[in-house]
Amino acid sequence: MTTSHTYEILLALGILAPMISFWVLVLFGRYLRKPGAGWFAVLLGMGVPLVLATVVLIGWSGEDAAARAALTENAYRFHWANLGAVPVTIGVKLDSLTVAMFFMVAIVSFLIFFFSIGYMSGHSDEVDGKSLYSRFFAYLSLFGFSMLGLVVSSSLLFLFICWELVGLCSYLLIGFYFDRAYASAAGIKAFITNRVGDFGFIVGLMLVFFQLGTLDLDQAAATFAGQHAAFLADPTSAAAGIFADPFTLFGWSLATIMGIGLFCGAMGKSAQFPLHVWLPDAMAGPTPVSALIHAATMVAAGVYLVARVFRLMTPEALMFIAVIGCLTLTLMALVAIVQVDIKKCLAYSTLSQLGYMIFGMGCGAWIAALFHLTTHAFFKAMLFLCSGQVIEGCHHEQDMRKMGGLYKKMPVTCWTFFIGVLAISGAGIAGTGIGLGGFFSKDEILAVAYTRAYGWEYEKHQESAGHDSHALGAPRSKTEVRLVAFQDSDQAGHRPDQTHDGQRVEPAGNEDQVQRDRQPILEDGKEPLHAGAIRLLQHPEEHGAGTAAIFRGIPPLPKWLFWLAVFTAYVTPFYMMRAWWMTFMGKPRDEHVYKHAHEIWLMYVPLIALSVGTVFSGYLLFRPLISDGAAAATAAATVLATDGHMHTEAINAAHGWLFWGVGFAFLVGFAIAFAIYRKGLETADKIRRGAGILYVILERKYFFDEVYNFVWVKGCILVAKISRLIDTYVVDLLFDLAAFTIRRLADFSGWVLDNHGVDGVFNGVAKTSQDFAGVVRSPQTGRIRNYLLFAAAVATVVLICVLLAGWESVSSVARAAETTIP
Amino acid sequence: MGILTLLVFLPVLGAVVCLFVPKQQVRTVAVAFALATFVLSLSLFGTFFGGGEDSTEAIFGTQYGKLHHVERATWIEGKNFTVEYFLGIDGLGFPLFILTTLIAFLACLASWNFDRWKINKGVRAYFILFLLLETGMLGVFVSMDFFLFYVFWEVMLLPMYFLIGVWGGSRREYAAIKFFLFTLAGSVLMLVVLVAMYFYSDAPITAEMSRLGTEGIASGYRGEDVLISHGTFDLIELATNPVIQSYFAAKSTLFLGLKFAPVMFMLLFIGFAIKLPCVPVHTWLPDAHVEAPTPISMILAGVLLKMGGYGFLRLCYPIFPTGGERWAFFLAVVGVVSIIYGALCAMAQTDFKKLVAYSSVSHMGYVLLGIAVMTQAGFQGAMFQMIAHGISSPMCFYLVGVIYDRAHHREIDRFGGLWLTMPRYGTLATIGFFASLGLPGLCGFIGEIWVLLGTFGARDKYVWAVPMAIIAAGGVILTAGYILWLIRRVYLGQEREEYAGFSDASARETFVLIPMAVLAIAMGIFPMQTVFNYTNGTLDLMLAHVANATAMMP
Repeated sequence: MTTSHTYEILLALGILAPMISFWVLVLFGRYLRKPGAGWFAVLLGMGVPLVLATVVLIGWSGEDAAARAALTENAYRFHWANLGAVPVTIGVKLDSLTVAMFFMVAIVSFLIFFFSIGYMSGHSDEVDGKSLYSRFFAYLSLFGFSMLGLVVSSSLLFLFICWELVGLCSYLLIGFYFDRAYASAAGIKAFITNRVGDFGFIVGLMLVFFQLGTLDLDQAAATFAGQHAAFLADPTSAAAGIFADPFTLFGWSLATIMGIGLFCGAMGKSAQFPLHVWLPDAMAGPTPVSALIHAATMVAAGVYLVARVFRLMTPEALMFIAVIGCLTLTLMALVAIVQVDIKKCLAYSTLSQLGYMIFGMGCGAWIAALFHLTTHAFFKAMLFLCSGQVIEGCHHEQDMRKMGGLYKKMPVTCWTFFIGVLAISGAGIAGTGIGLGGFFSKDEILAVAYTRAYGWEYEKHQESAGHDSHALGAPRSKTEVRLVAFQDSDQAGHRPDQTHDGQRVEPAGNEDQVQRDRQPILEDGKEPLHAGAIRLLQHPEEHGAGTAAIFRGIPPLPKWLFWLAVFTAYVTPFYMMRAWWMTFMGKPRDEHVYKHAHEIWLMYVPLIALSVGTVFSGYLLFRPLISDGAAAATAAATVLATDGHMHTEAINAAHGWLFWGVGFAFLVGFAIAFAIYRKGLETADKIRRGAGILYVILERKYFFDEVYNFVWVKGCILVAKISRLIDTYVVDLLFDLAAFTIRRLADFSGWVLDNHGVDGVFNGVAKTSQDFAGVVRSPQTGRIRNYLLFAAAVATVVLICVLLAGWESVSSVARAAETTIP
Repeated sequence: MGILTLLVFLPVLGAVVCLFVPKQQVRTVAVAFALATFVLSLSLFGTFFGGGEDSTEAIFGTQYGKLHHVERATWIEGKNFTVEYFLGIDGLGFPLFILTTLIAFLACLASWNFDRWKINKGVRAYFILFLLLETGMLGVFVSMDFFLFYVFWEVMLLPMYFLIGVWGGSRREYAAIKFFLFTLAGSVLMLVVLVAMYFYSDAPITAEMSRLGTEGIASGYRGEDVLISHGTFDLIELATNPVIQSYFAAKSTLFLGLKFAPVMFMLLFIGFAIKLPCVPVHTWLPDAHVEAPTPISMILAGVLLKMGGYGFLRLCYPIFPTGGERWAFFLAVVGVVSIIYGALCAMAQTDFKKLVAYSSVSHMGYVLLGIAVMTQAGFQGAMFQMIAHGISSPMCFYLVGVIYDRAHHREIDRFGGLWLTMPRYGTLATIGFFASLGLPGLCGFIGEIWVLLGTFGARDKYVWAVPMAIIAAGGVILTAGYILWLIRRVYLGQEREEYAGFSDASARETFVLIPMAVLAIAMGIFPMQTVFNYTNGTLDLMLAHVANATAMMP
């Protein structure tokens, strides 16, 4: 079935099902009642997509590599509209990543939909005393549609549309309890912060559309690669497109700006520093929403976007991404330490984990980042659902200081939560290959980062090349020079001396040699080595010795980035263990809360399912699929990603380091948390008092909210008010002044003309229209008449003037024209 | 009698009938005629779907000037000039024409509760003026003779003046006069152009005739057989006749000592810019909207503002293509300023209706920007934005009207929790305002993104195109800001006691809102089937014509 569209149709139907569910619930939701509407959404809205996703997954697993490539190649594209003269198509981007993501989203969503029935069975569906049960599930269905649509989209524009729709659902669901002021405020905050990111996304889209002439992901990547090849052949050629553009901003070339622009969208959606402020507030929504949208799927969409546009990235853009990711993962993990609200604590941990993924993407650890995305989706969804169970069970108490000892009342929740803690902490037996999902995915990211930071011996070459690029006077050629540097270093013998086409390259002995070698390469238009590296990437088995070479296409990673990530690997287990211990262990600290605590099967069945997924699905299911899709999805012209083989190599290379460096991080973190919280909160209080200002900074989240509120929100409103004043008192005043002058004139003229009886005519006209209109009796007849009169008079005068003057010039020009017109 | 004549004057017939029926029946008659006009106008789709004589045409107007349902007759025959009754419809006028009949019908239906208005006297006059207004609007979109165009333009003005001035709010006279004077100022400028165009088309024709010694010169689009021997008001002739065009564009052609084409372009531009409206000649709009009764606001926002954009595309660009090139930067600046400034002003409003009015200024800025850069995507986006705004904006105004009918005030801060009180209304309101916000999947998005991409695409022509596109893109953040803030203050929050007794949207109100909601969604999902298929052919050809003309210029 290599040329048929079965998979695409199945996936498309999978998207359609939640859409139908949405409309049915919107239109007829109230007839379905409670819990009918919920079951409807679960079965049609997510059950159908899950079944279809499973069918596709099984079918896809049965296809061999060639068949998959053919299916990707021949996918159907629907002609949606023309943008200018360029057709915009939509379709299913069919590859292993899509299949994996679709399945992941479908199964996690299904479980959370299911959980929601339990969560909403009490009074959680009430807004100001009114049940909005069916509306909640309608929103969830719409979200399902948008998220699945986002995953399969073949076009950046359609991806953007779904992107905004998931944002809408996020807005609606955060503000679901819209009777609470903070909930609707949080919704607005989320939407607008995302819009700020989307602004960058739109700029990126504009660049993609204009520079690459298409919005289709594959076409854009192909054009991008083509332009880059043309640029390497001849930096001034017209075919070099975006690379030949002399425009720079902060030293970034246009291609880099395009990549960063697209990444800005991801920064908003995946809540990366400095646009992270909305995610903690988003916890105002119902807990299943936090689990589904703000932990497992939507916030990961940013990472998915970067994965999808990876082929359009430049080394500088990737570096930007890595820095942003690293800042996020570190700063947010620190804030998580001081949170006392169980959901906020999880929210900051989500931010930190998203930072990990983005950081991984920036390092080129494409597979590891997506692998982490899938494992994280399971364990974080589970953690959130556990917290939902706790919150619902404890009568909407979210403060962990009032909990404690709940393990007796909620055993299932307690131990599934514990599995989540182990998973997010990266627990595993170092060196044995036994561990939970997070153990492997985090290790992979760190391994790649380690190799990027330390497995690098080429700075010297790059520096010399850098001088040269200045001599050439073209800042944009950085990429190219770097690639050349990469070639030089290969020639210097770190790699087999054969390039991909088997051509023998002379080793470069010194820098002069390097420079001499480079020129001919650029002039001859020989295929540069990085292209060979891509081939190497696609056929890793043929190039076992090429490990280090793969990384050379992109600049080395600053070491501090790597160390921050390692540091956070110790922080994460600490705050997660702290949260678990405070909630479930120790002695009950609030009798009231403890008395009410209970759990119900509707809610813990999904927990168990998710915990199974957490333990097993990652390495068995998603890792191979993602790895399979990597080669094609990262076949970038300017940057290099590490493929599955390379990951293994990296892990092997960094093995010893990883074992001692982070292998026992989770134990250290657990131990510290245990030491502090074993006997209740007293020790923590002491430490808090000791920490002083440091604690305040963390507790206030680095004052981002305060600063943003003051600068952006207040600033914007101030500017708006000034605009309004200008509009009322300046623009209008000018016109009112003009009107006043005219009125004075009109009074005069009206009086004069009255005396001459002309007014009678107008009176007559006005009278006629009055009679005709029946009630057209203007209270200030005189004034209106004067206006009309004066307007008419002015029109006449102007007309006469113009005609006289105009005719004058016309006739003169006409005479001239007789001679000039041939 | 052709279909267009029938459609244009059907409302007048309705107005005449209104004169003779009992007072209680007037609104029924008016609604019936508005509905009849709408339904009949749908038959124009036949031309596209293959029902008409032009079934071979894939889209409207495969060449500029390829008009459908043409009707022409000599109307005023002077010694040296001819004014024609010349109607026709192409891809430019067609969607706006349908929009007009639809919005007029819905607005008419929205006037159904006239008896319960604050000023509920003169029901007969109200509906008669309403129907006359519809005729004026329809006439503008199908007139291909400048003189006729101008007549319809003025026909539209007067009923509007009375509708605001008599049935408006407390400051209605001020608003009505302001509206009238602003529009009249535009009309005067247009009149100058009207006269000048005649004389300036006469001069080269006369010269050419005396040079060749013939009785007339060949028409630019009607083939060799048709000779014209003097100046003309024919809009298509003015745009396509090479003799006229080269004379208009020539640098030696002067008007009051200035180059002819840029001056004429600017005069027309100011006239239409007032109508659009753009900053700084927009201040009549908030006042007019706030004072006008709800249905009139719907018409004003839905159709009248589109006259400005239509005017640019019908008159300015085809007839004075060099002017467009000359003023591109200026126009784009005005457009971008309108987008940002309109959005900021909207954010600071406390009056619900005024906020929606300022949002119109902001949205119409995209229209101007898209047109100004003269790219395919820009033109398409501007056209789409006009239609999209023609759907979303009346919807928003009606949403305001529905709540005003109940609460009798429009203070945003005094509302709250209306989604709980009126769930159906709340849901429709969400659709309406999100369409206005430009949410993908709804109509507002397509126009905006097309214009933004189109503006960016002018990068090769203009260095300023990219900054403009980026600033305009920043407008989407502001738009989201004021709309969401509005929704929060009016629809979200706890239910308020003072509004607890409010009934949900009635069947009639829902019936008015549903078509607009459905169209808002349909246009967002199927932009090609709903708009682009009809407009793009004409727009692309027009742009090609403009580009040719500009390229030919020295």
